[in-house]
Amino acid sequence: MRIDAVNRWATTGLLAPLGLLAACYTGLPADEGGASDAGGDAGEAASESDGGASEGGDDGPVASCDVPEVGVTSLRRLTRQQYENTVRDLLGYTGEAATGFAPDERVGPFLSNIGAPITEVQVEQYMDAAEDIAAAATQDIGAILPCDPVVVGEDACATELIADLAPRAYRRPLDAAELARLQTVYAEGKAQGGFDNGIRLVVQGLLQSPWFLYHMEFGADGVNDGGVVRLTGHELASRLSYFLWSSMPDDALLAAAAAGELEDHAALADHVDRLLEDPRARETIASFHLQWLGVDEIEGLEKSAEFFPDFTPELALAMRAETAAFASHVVLDGDGMVQTLLGADFTLTEDPDLLALYGIALPPGHVAGEPVPLPVGQRMGLLTHASVLAEHAHVNQTSPVHRGRLVRENLLCQPLPAPPPDVDNVPPSPDPDSTARERFEQHRADPSCAACHSLIDPIGFVFEHYDGVGQWRDLEAGAAVDASGELIATDVDRPLDGALELAQALMESDDVKRCVTRQWFRFAMGRSENDADLCTNEGLETAFVDSGGDIRVLIRELVLSDAFRHRKAEISASYPDNGPTQEDQR
Amino acid sequence: MNRRKTHRATAPRKPFNSAFSRRAFLGGIGGAAALAPFVPLLESEAGVAEFPKRLIVLFSANGTLHENWVPQGGESDFTLSTILAPLEPYRSSLVVLDGLEVIRQGLGDGHQMGMGSLWTGSQLLAGEFMGGDGGSAGYAGHASVDQVVANAIGTETPYKSLEFGVQTGGANVWTRMSYADSNQPLPPEDNPQAMFDRIFGDLDVDPAGIEKLKAERRSVIDLVKGDLESLQSRYGGGDRIKVEKHLDAIRAVETRNEAAVPVCDEPQLDLSMDPFANDNFPVVVQRQIDLMVMAMACDLTRVASLQCSASVSGTLFSWLGQSTGHHDLSHLGDDDPTMIDQITGVNIWYAEQVKYLLDALAAVPEGEGTLLDNTLVVWGNELSRGNSHGNRPVPFVLAGGAGGAMQGGRYLAYDQTPHNRMLVSICQMMGMTDLDTFGDNDPASGGLVGLT
Repeated sequence: MRIDAVNRWATTGLLAPLGLLAACYTGLPADEGGASDAGGDAGEAASESDGGASEGGDDGPVASCDVPEVGVTSLRRLTRQQYENTVRDLLGYTGEAATGFAPDERVGPFLSNIGAPITEVQVEQYMDAAEDIAAAATQDIGAILPCDPVVVGEDACATELIADLAPRAYRRPLDAAELARLQTVYAEGKAQGGFDNGIRLVVQGLLQSPWFLYHMEFGADGVNDGGVVRLTGHELASRLSYFLWSSMPDDALLAAAAAGELEDHAALADHVDRLLEDPRARETIASFHLQWLGVDEIEGLEKSAEFFPDFTPELALAMRAETAAFASHVVLDGDGMVQTLLGADFTLTEDPDLLALYGIALPPGHVAGEPVPLPVGQRMGLLTHASVLAEHAHVNQTSPVHRGRLVRENLLCQPLPAPPPDVDNVPPSPDPDSTARERFEQHRADPSCAACHSLIDPIGFVFEHYDGVGQWRDLEAGAAVDASGELIATDVDRPLDGALELAQALMESDDVKRCVTRQWFRFAMGRSENDADLCTNEGLETAFVDSGGDIRVLIRELVLSDAFRHRKAEISASYPDNGPTQEDQR
Repeated sequence: MNRRKTHRATAPRKPFNSAFSRRAFLGGIGGAAALAPFVPLLESEAGVAEFPKRLIVLFSANGTLHENWVPQGGESDFTLSTILAPLEPYRSSLVVLDGLEVIRQGLGDGHQMGMGSLWTGSQLLAGEFMGGDGGSAGYAGHASVDQVVANAIGTETPYKSLEFGVQTGGANVWTRMSYADSNQPLPPEDNPQAMFDRIFGDLDVDPAGIEKLKAERRSVIDLVKGDLESLQSRYGGGDRIKVEKHLDAIRAVETRNEAAVPVCDEPQLDLSMDPFANDNFPVVVQRQIDLMVMAMACDLTRVASLQCSASVSGTLFSWLGQSTGHHDLSHLGDDDPTMIDQITGVNIWYAEQVKYLLDALAAVPEGEGTLLDNTLVVWGNELSRGNSHGNRPVPFVLAGGAGGAMQGGRYLAYDQTPHNRMLVSICQMMGMTDLDTFGDNDPASGGLVGLT
């Protein structure tokens, strides 16, 4: 049984947690600290997980931006999705290769294996998977060979295969010594069981090499001493393809890298456009939005059968598919605007149960995959998707707190601390005679709760027309739903009535655009931003806001940014000791 | 919020393929032995004078209800309470520890520190997991007691330790209790079928096939080791540690590849359930216990842990007729009859699972005694009490004989004693008699006074 999602998608608070939010925890009045100011307070935001020294700051960060400044990029390992996509693209393997792998870590809401080293059990999992995949890939040996062993000779053909496959597996050229070591693996495999066996063993080896399993980045100078270095063409190609496809670079991208073309910004931007047009981008764009909204594991959501008898795993999958299809449609087929994501009057689904939940029917003459109009006055954009509303709710009722928190943390990038340890923080039992608002009254009445909850609940209450599985309701506990609320501590503060007014406000907000920028940064880089990324992030925010909220502009600017095209290694001398070693424990 | 964790579809057990047998590390003895009836290895070895000690660490979440947990009476003439009553048959092998405190200092909120410090007695590192006070924390900064013991006593068995889980969730500080080292959590295996495949694998494979498999793995391991060794010098700090730990891991797999391994017959267990469905929680707990005991009986490992869910567990105890998730229940008020009744019910159920484990251990003969006589079982929790996120008294129960080191049949009441002392005692009872401190939260030395 999954732990409470409250903890799972907690984000790091690196975008200017407002002074008032820290004050919220200590119980000071909520209006202290004034309006939002995204840029200035980033210095106090430093929860630097990398532990390295930040650039450019004596009194907090000052972004000169003349020379590239980049936050530390720790060594990252492929996520399960990336592993599966990569073996699919490298070898044509279509099975669920990573199903048995240990779960991925997250950076904020986004999957990224950047924290802990791997363990024995994970090495075994990789070994098992490699053996299965290699066996499948070499069942029909001709499909994998670039030559005919009968014609050119077995060993010569093996050499050709290695020269062809290994650079794609490692995502970079190999030198003679490395190729020779792979040749040895082939020879040893051939000695055990013939040519096919030798080839299979090579594939097995490639899939277990750290060059395959990790996103290895050293930079153009090949130096890893803590300086900021430009990535090599191959490293940049790999970052780009894993960003937009969650998979390895294709031949065109590798060729461009080898030819040095990716140094040219225009050529790099062309590749961004090219990759976005590929079907693989759809899954990744969808992935961003599912993770951003905390619904990427909704297929495991369970609801009370007593309260929501129609909620099934199939319905949860349909909800997920709707959000995925809608997001990738808007970004890749539509106008790409964040306003459309938040304010669209259409969605994409043909699932009868989901349509029934929404209370709509497919329009006459509807063609599958085309937009479906949403009921006017009831639904608008991502925030009224059933996936979001069902995920951020309790098993038997709504959750104004979880929904409010989603907006505060994931759309406004204003992190909220966990409740103080001594509170009785359980959702009140669904009382048929009272509404959620009445039951959560204590949040407003009790001063020790109100400081923080005044930031959360007035947002969450605007969703009260949508029950615990996201279905519209006019009544709750026999009375008309009261969906009034309020936005405070934003650049679009206003009273609200209903989720559509909230969506409207967020569409107008530059704070939201800045937060969206940060979220894309985390997704693309697989890490949190810190002070050294200020130049990049300010540039991205400006570009995104100036474009009016065009996600495609943001994606392009991200790829062209300093942070994306450079790396900075951990500074060995000053990196804090990770604690006592095993020898120290006795 | 109640939900079911999923890894998409659970992979079905792969059909046996003699050409590509997976985790079959049989050495030397040959196919005939694989057909032998399932007997504990050590029983079958002639001339074994003494059986090794084993350690089993158990976790359940969200605290307990102290008033229904704490025994009544004195050290030896105590009466077990409602929650621990299921363990009455094992009273003479039991030590109930009251009054221990899991010290909290440094980064993290109650649940984070509760989980991260439970078996490490140490602070959390800086990291990405957002907790209370606007700060964030990472993983624990120290190895856990099971791993410290495993390093001492686990080197002779194929697996230094085995980590079992039931619906433990993602990879973060709330879901990891076992640490090989600072910032190196060990992921538990939540899927009994996958654990079975890993440790028992396909046992009826011909010796020639085994030799081929080992030789091939040797080639691949050499390749990977070479890559990692050349990468070590190119990295610094935490990145280098990642490379080094990967290298350590592959060397451990290499050692297992080269070793002759005890033969165990394939246990007959029904592992076909979906291990991630909430309502299968009870059967998964028991199948994992079965696998753990079989693995120990066969000397595949001498150290194991079973993590039932994780801190902030939202398990819905539907099989007890409950309709609110465990975490939400645990936050009801002190006077709430539902809380009292259902949290007590949850903890009674967990005590029954501990009894299931003790029964299984007691059923394995070892010399004049049983596997239970040679095992130390430790049952702990991340919190003392759910609704206060308290850290004292955190309930701990010890069981088993620990190879003679445990004096059972006692109820020991301490007064805000750091549980680091218990961690020291655990190590000492497992034979590490020179160890006298554990973890960085408590500098004092020595084990729990009066325990041994």
